Amino acid sequence: MLNYTPALLKETLIQDLQIKEISPIMKLIVRGKKREFISAVGKSLNILLPTEANTSTQSDKLTALWLSPDEWIIFSNDTMNKDLNDYETEKLLQNNISKINLGAVTDVTDQFVMINLKGNKIYDLFQSGSPYNFNNFQNKKGAVTQTILGKIDIIVHNQDKNTVNLFVRRSFSQHLFSWMNDAASRL
Amino acid sequence: MFLINCPFCGEREQSEFKAGGEAHIIRPKQPTELSDDEWAEYLFMRKNIKGVQFERWNHAHGCRKWFNVVRDTSNDEIKAVYKMGEKPPTI
Amino acid sequence: MTKSLRVKTGKIIDETYRISFKFNGKTYYGFKGDTLASALLANDVHLVGRSFKYHRPRGIMTAGSEEPNAIIQLHKNSSRTEPNVRATEVEIYEGLEASSQNCWPSVEFDIGGINNFLSPLLPAGFYYKTFMWPASFWEKYEYFIRKSAGLGKSPTEPDPDVYEHKYVHCDVLVIGSGISGIMAAKTAAKNGLQTLLVDEKPILGGSTIYQNSENFKINNQNSGSWLEKEINEIKKISNLDIKVRTSVAAYHGYNFLLARESLTDHLPIEQRKNKTRHKLLKIRAKKVICATGSIERPLIFNNNDRPGILLSSAIKRYADLFGVSCGEKNVLLTNNDSAYETAISLIQKGINIEAIIDNREEVDSKLVYEIEKNNIKIYKGFTVVDTSGYKRINKLSIMKLSKDGQKVIGSKINLPCNCLGISGGWTPAVHLFTQSGGKLKFREDDQVFIPNTHPSDQISIGSCNGDLSLEDILINVPNTLKEFLGIKKTEYENIEVLSSENFSKRNIWLLPSDKVLGKTKSFVDYQNDATAKDIKLALREGFRSIEHVKRYTTTGMGTDQGKLGNMHALGIISETAGTKMGEHGTTTFRPPYTPLTFGTIVGRNVGEYFDIFRKTPIHDWHVENKAEFENVGQWKRAWYYPKDNEDMYQAVQRESKAARESAGILDASTLGKIDIQGTDASEFLNRVYTNSWSKLAIGKCRYGLMLNEDGMVYDDGVTTRLGENHYIMTTTTGGAANVLSKLEDYLQTEWPELDVYLTSVTDHYATISVCGPNSRNIVSTIIDDLDFSDENFPHMSFKNAKIGKINCRVMRISFTGELSYEINIQANYAKSVWEKCIEAGKDFNITPYGTETMHLLRAEKGFIIVGQDTDGTMTPIDLQMDWIVSKKKYDYIGKRSLYRSDTIREDRKQLVGLLTENPDDVLEEGAQIVANINKTPIEMLGHVTSSYYSPNLKKSIALAVVKGGKNMMGEKLIIPMENKSINVTIADPIFLDKENKKLNA
Repeated sequence: MLNYTPALLKETLIQDLQIKEISPIMKLIVRGKKREFISAVGKSLNILLPTEANTSTQSDKLTALWLSPDEWIIFSNDTMNKDLNDYETEKLLQNNISKINLGAVTDVTDQFVMINLKGNKIYDLFQSGSPYNFNNFQNKKGAVTQTILGKIDIIVHNQDKNTVNLFVRRSFSQHLFSWMNDAASRL
Repeated sequence: MFLINCPFCGEREQSEFKAGGEAHIIRPKQPTELSDDEWAEYLFMRKNIKGVQFERWNHAHGCRKWFNVVRDTSNDEIKAVYKMGEKPPTI
Repeated sequence: MTKSLRVKTGKIIDETYRISFKFNGKTYYGFKGDTLASALLANDVHLVGRSFKYHRPRGIMTAGSEEPNAIIQLHKNSSRTEPNVRATEVEIYEGLEASSQNCWPSVEFDIGGINNFLSPLLPAGFYYKTFMWPASFWEKYEYFIRKSAGLGKSPTEPDPDVYEHKYVHCDVLVIGSGISGIMAAKTAAKNGLQTLLVDEKPILGGSTIYQNSENFKINNQNSGSWLEKEINEIKKISNLDIKVRTSVAAYHGYNFLLARESLTDHLPIEQRKNKTRHKLLKIRAKKVICATGSIERPLIFNNNDRPGILLSSAIKRYADLFGVSCGEKNVLLTNNDSAYETAISLIQKGINIEAIIDNREEVDSKLVYEIEKNNIKIYKGFTVVDTSGYKRINKLSIMKLSKDGQKVIGSKINLPCNCLGISGGWTPAVHLFTQSGGKLKFREDDQVFIPNTHPSDQISIGSCNGDLSLEDILINVPNTLKEFLGIKKTEYENIEVLSSENFSKRNIWLLPSDKVLGKTKSFVDYQNDATAKDIKLALREGFRSIEHVKRYTTTGMGTDQGKLGNMHALGIISETAGTKMGEHGTTTFRPPYTPLTFGTIVGRNVGEYFDIFRKTPIHDWHVENKAEFENVGQWKRAWYYPKDNEDMYQAVQRESKAARESAGILDASTLGKIDIQGTDASEFLNRVYTNSWSKLAIGKCRYGLMLNEDGMVYDDGVTTRLGENHYIMTTTTGGAANVLSKLEDYLQTEWPELDVYLTSVTDHYATISVCGPNSRNIVSTIIDDLDFSDENFPHMSFKNAKIGKINCRVMRISFTGELSYEINIQANYAKSVWEKCIEAGKDFNITPYGTETMHLLRAEKGFIIVGQDTDGTMTPIDLQMDWIVSKKKYDYIGKRSLYRSDTIREDRKQLVGLLTENPDDVLEEGAQIVANINKTPIEMLGHVTSSYYSPNLKKSIALAVVKGGKNMMGEKLIIPMENKSINVTIADPIFLDKENKKLNA
């Protein structure tokens, strides 16, 4: 048996702002250009990929974020079993997408760390290190953006009022986490 | 720091982008048929205009897509943004 | 005991709250609300500094950020010390300590003052002219010049304060909270726009807020009271954010502005702990309204710089706002009505006025009549021709101006005076406007530059737009706002205004004296000691461009950027050269408007956050096992693992031996990994690598070399075919991001027809490389259901495998020349797999090794490192890697460049091995290589790129690039070092196991 070591070993609560990693969350990058690709993903997973920029869609089990006109990230709404890294969703897509050359499916479960932020000062925190204008974003449930925070690339997903999922590449995650805690301590 | 209207993601700050030099320099389809001079023309020769310039930009910290920008280099005013493969606007 | 010049209570002074502070070591008292300047003036202290060049005594001159003289150092000899602070902007707090700058031993007695008497010898450009020759002497002069110059001392200890940055996005930014700014902010906010109002001062209201005169009324209330009500109202608007003590430093294109919000500078030191000192606001505004006001102009006359000479508007501000009288014998010198407003305020406060000297011959003005009624003597058509008093003005002489204003006539009258207020009219503060790219126009009527064309969505309103009277403001501002904000109505329609000023002005840029110009000191730039004489000298010497005159005379080059005197410099230039003001334009105003501390500029990008670090999933193990780390790009990589006080050399020798003799383990997770999928994946690889990929079987790995279009080696790595249309490419650690970006570029722009998708999986997979003759024994223990035989799993192949229940990929590839397996495992299981390898390898002395040993091992085998053995000028042919360059492929990136006339030269620098004559001599990387040291100039043939002592070969080995090296095998060359020359022989760069026996073992 292998031990499972998430990227962030603790969660923090600073001034009403809760910052914690959620793991394991299955994450896939799916890429494709054809119309058939989008419908095949939809049929396989029962989720319609969002085609409008900076938006997301959701099913019972999965959430899909728009990343670019031919790229999406799909992640599981719930945590997975730590002792396995065989994902049903990935297999399904490999059969229905990759094998018939409709597009590409890549497992990025540990490529990105999903950090969940809760509290009413999330956007004050973001303002201290991101050039992105969150004014409209924060009132739009399901909104998605890719931008920079503290010089690090992030994907932000407005899950609900005062709740945000932030995706960051694993190798940057500890630095970003430390930076966010430092910034939060002064909000 | 100017704002660039990414044709895919919308208006973002310049720091999310990477500049890619002069636009509409097409890689020769048959490089081996070219003389040294012709190849050098493609490889090295770039304009450096004060005024309206056609440029390539990449939304490096966003959707990672390349696109074209028409920018006045004297005041950074962006006159147009258009996707790769689209016809350049007349300005 | 010092005198107190505190008169009736000032508007913002709390007399129940006394504050003690120190200036130049002496304790003084002020009240809450005082600035350092107002508190000093209340204690009758005018002399606060010495001028830059002549070390002339200088006093407080203004009441704002335009201050050129009262530049002080705060908290000398402490970690919080700060030089070049304007005393007029410092709010006093208990325990404040300030001292004068640019004087030694003291501001009262300054040795540098001798320069004042030498000043005839120190004209403009003196330093340029005198110290130019002989050039070699500059080093000697420089020491003395630097010692005697300099403004303040920089701190020597780390800054204890914290600074932050904040991005702000708003619909409307209003800069300045004078009457125009307040009207604008209220109008914008009430129309539903997210509005931000900033002001550099601690209180809102500009100069109108303390206007308490019957001569200026709005809707029948005096203008100050009217504005106060407006301010109280706007404080309640929820979509209006108000920030005081916030100075806009820079106005860039696209309405991007930087502003410094000062949060703790006004608090006693002990209250500043754990608070942010400054916030640098990075403001992105849809619309910007500049209401930056105007700055009163001084007047330029002989000896116009003595302590006790202030701007007339500053005297008014000190009296009205702070209840401070700047002197007992006050004289005002003016060319317009503004000084009379000051006079009215002084009369209201019971402060004595000796006389008013007005350059104008006749004035029909209500204000003037009111002063005359108070029996104050007005000298009309007169000017000041000289002043006296070394450390404080004590007397002035006035004379009548000639009709043309170019001469003085009649007899001299002496007046007693210990405070002279001067007023030369107003200069719109257009600095931020021009920073943004705005162009100015010159208004002849009152000789001012005002905004003309706006480069972005912005307007200037109020006095910074040239509307200098209350009436103009109340009529023009609402109309401008309506148009700018696209609204139909403001709250300021049909407002009744009473404004009593007369706007006549007698503008004389350089007031004449009875002395010839050469004998006068009429300062134009106070901070840099540039006089009218200097400017005229510059013109005589042929300078014409305002930018050249500026640099030659240093006018406007101080920390105040000539906010006061620039207009006079321009005026004197155009008058002397006989040109029109408007034609010269102004010099360029550059950010910051007022100086920023470095702390504000860097914000939180210090210490741990100075640069980003990236960590592998096994990082914590390396830390626990005492690894030393090396920065590779942004990565922290284990460098070597010292044991028992080993130094790096010893550790690396031990690690290298262990890896070849039994087993070593390396964390290679930092290698870039790109997942490549699509029906054209093979074709794509054919186009980006120099070798051919079409025939690579599924399950096999191949090394690839990637070039730039110019034919130079760009990156390398092993790519594995996972499926028919599926590959995984590895890149160098440092090149990962750039390679992905470059490949995306080709796919999107040159070859959009290719069906290929790239996805980075660098962070998804950790890579654990186990190498050495015993590596198979170790890896097969962990992965038990895989056949590790050579037949099933040969060199350069890959297998899907499971460790426990977890899927992983195993590649048999080698960067050391030893039998070697790379396990690619999902990052969150990596530490566990690594620990299992260590456990399984115990019996084989498995030795963790870092990047340094990795470099040594690969050098023994002659493998290059892109970026160490290449530098962007090496082709694969130069690297003697012809074997990887396909002759058959029609095209790939960089192919055409490999036979340009330059790249086919035989004498290009080529990669070779070097062996030293004495096997114990280890060469220095970067050392130059020559053939002959007796012939000068010595011809440099190349340099050493990699060099190590090989514990396995028991000799020194090196890689180098040498001109024509390929054909010099066995030739002897020389590496000249500081103390000796080392003899070397050119050798094959592959030092170990050329036949690859170990790899295929």
